[in-house]
Amino acid sequence: MDTSTPAVFVNADVLKMYSGRRVRSVVQVMRSEGGTITGQSTDGHQLTIKGAQSVPLSHFIEVIGIADGNQSIRAEICTDFGENFDTQAYNGLCQLANGKYKNLFL
Amino acid sequence: MARSVTPGAIAALLANPTPDSPLEIPEIVVQVVDLKPIGSSTTRFTFMASDGAMKIKAMLPTHLASEINSGKLQNLGLIRIIDYTCNAIPNQPEKALIVTKCEVVSPSLETEIKSEVKEERSQSDVKKEEYKSEVKKEESSILLMPKQEIVAKSAAQIVNEQRGNAAPAARLAMTKRIHPLVSLNPYQGNWTIKVRVTNKGNLRTYKNARGEGQVFNVELTDEDGTQIQATMFNEAAKKFYPKFELGKVYYISKGSLRIANKQFKTVQNDYEMTLNENAIVEEAEGEVSIPETKFNFVKIDQLGSYVNGRELVDVIGVVQNVSPTLSIRRKSNNETIPKRDITIADDSNKTVTVSLWNDLATNIGQELLDMVDTAPIVAIKSLKVGDFQGVSLSTLTKSTVLINPDLPEAKKLKSWYDSEGKGASMASVGSDIVSSSRTGLRSMYSDRVFLSQITNDPSLGQDKPVFFSISVYISLIKADQTMWYRACTTCNKKVTEAVGGGYWCEGCQKNDDQCSLRYIMVIKVSDPTGEAWLSVFNEQAEKIIGCTADELDRIKTEEGDEKYQLKLKEATWVPHLFRVSVSQTEYMNEKRQRITVRAQAPLDCSAESRYLLEEIAKMSIS
Repeated sequence: MDTSTPAVFVNADVLKMYSGRRVRSVVQVMRSEGGTITGQSTDGHQLTIKGAQSVPLSHFIEVIGIADGNQSIRAEICTDFGENFDTQAYNGLCQLANGKYKNLFL
Repeated sequence: MARSVTPGAIAALLANPTPDSPLEIPEIVVQVVDLKPIGSSTTRFTFMASDGAMKIKAMLPTHLASEINSGKLQNLGLIRIIDYTCNAIPNQPEKALIVTKCEVVSPSLETEIKSEVKEERSQSDVKKEEYKSEVKKEESSILLMPKQEIVAKSAAQIVNEQRGNAAPAARLAMTKRIHPLVSLNPYQGNWTIKVRVTNKGNLRTYKNARGEGQVFNVELTDEDGTQIQATMFNEAAKKFYPKFELGKVYYISKGSLRIANKQFKTVQNDYEMTLNENAIVEEAEGEVSIPETKFNFVKIDQLGSYVNGRELVDVIGVVQNVSPTLSIRRKSNNETIPKRDITIADDSNKTVTVSLWNDLATNIGQELLDMVDTAPIVAIKSLKVGDFQGVSLSTLTKSTVLINPDLPEAKKLKSWYDSEGKGASMASVGSDIVSSSRTGLRSMYSDRVFLSQITNDPSLGQDKPVFFSISVYISLIKADQTMWYRACTTCNKKVTEAVGGGYWCEGCQKNDDQCSLRYIMVIKVSDPTGEAWLSVFNEQAEKIIGCTADELDRIKTEEGDEKYQLKLKEATWVPHLFRVSVSQTEYMNEKRQRITVRAQAPLDCSAESRYLLEEIAKMSIS
């Protein structure tokens, strides 16, 4: 397992802190056109995922890739998590992983 | 020009209620006090006609309305009554004065004339054009009156006059400053509060080391909604028990405050009040400024989330069924308490059973039974939610029940019931909850502990078993343990092999060729803090292993040991939520901790994550 560049758990709010770095996030697919997906992050904002395969609308996907600006991620790996996902729990995780308990994750 | 009222005017008016002609009427001048329009009318006015000593309710003729509207006659003015009638008011002892003709004598005197206030003055025929008046009024008598006493005016009296026009109750409120309940504390004793009795307890007798006594308490709510409990003992209890009526508003002063005893606290207040015989309790007349009992209704189908919680709920519903009164014996002192169960339904299309206890069972219960055919609406405040038959509601001493209350929710329910509800077949809300896993996920989050918390405390469950929920992974199910016992197919008790073949059940006293195998095993579980051995019975074991004991036995005998062990392995390292009981047992003179699984539920990752987030948040605070 390659642990050289760990991906940080992010939501839209936290994404801006990690521009250019490897991040991972779960978004709900709102629009899917060509190779770009517009998704809603777990804290209610919009994120653009570039280079992603097409995924059925309203499914949740986990995106691992490089953060590109404040609102987009260049996807390397995309996984379809299906239709059921607890966004509140994931959001809580993002907040804790980047706040008090950052040292447990990075 | 008369500058004042005719003494005894009111008495004269009442003595001759229907004079035949205006000529009969002597010179009558009265002061117009409390002048106000009737409703929003600009032509009809009502007032109190005062002669300084007596007052009578009166109405002004419409033609004089223009004088009022133009300011020629104002409150505290004087009018000479030229023609009038005294009519009896239905349901009231007093008469009312209908003034048919009068003339304005003085537009306004600025103070109300009161006979105690009079100072002896000689006849003064002051023909002043201006009607300025000072606080000390000069009074001229038209008729010779007996000598008036000189009364020295105190500051209080002057203040009283200035505000004299207010109705008695309002005057009381102004001379006594009302303190909000939230401002009361034990160090300032000089307060008066205005409160409504929102709950009245029963007058109870008690016995303690000092002898016998009587006690009762009331729950008081003021304008802001703050509540406080007031307790009265012995003499004070006897004195105030008949005085306090549920729902009425009172002025209370001279009570004492102290820190509330958390054990007996029923309302949210750091303090509680005690009233002794010196306390003052006065009923407030016609006060509606304090809100009536405020309800926060929960729809019947929403009750599931309150089961076994501490929060009390309010419900409103149509009564479908009332049971006869049952007598339940209280275990602690063998006292028998009356109980009645009623079934109510609401527009969530669900029903629920409410248990009424004590007085509510006997009185309200009987009332409801008598009127059950009319499908009465009942609103109940402060119910405890239990899990009997899924969901059950139970009254407490502080619960209040209103039958057919005048609330918008009641009207809504009535119209729903008349149109749809009557015919609808509704299920009990409890049956939904019972059919889903026996205890549901809710209780898997109450009394949640880690394994180490149980194993580190050997004294747990010494007298009575203690219950907890745990979230664990199964780490080992030993293959070579006795997994099951032979059970009677009827009563599930252990059967013994009979001499002539078949199985003998001691409980059923019969022999049977067939028996069923029921699980009884121990499993080892792990969580982040440690490990423990749990005893598991048939129901939960079936869920853990994934098949019945009979089936597992079949696999063992027919498919071989390997397959059997595989089945057990498959159950290992699976997470579960368990409800367990912990008790202390003695085994060969050694005290041992025994943890038994009472219920099982699969781990719901989403719910568990939320629980963990909550716990993490709690960690940061403490």
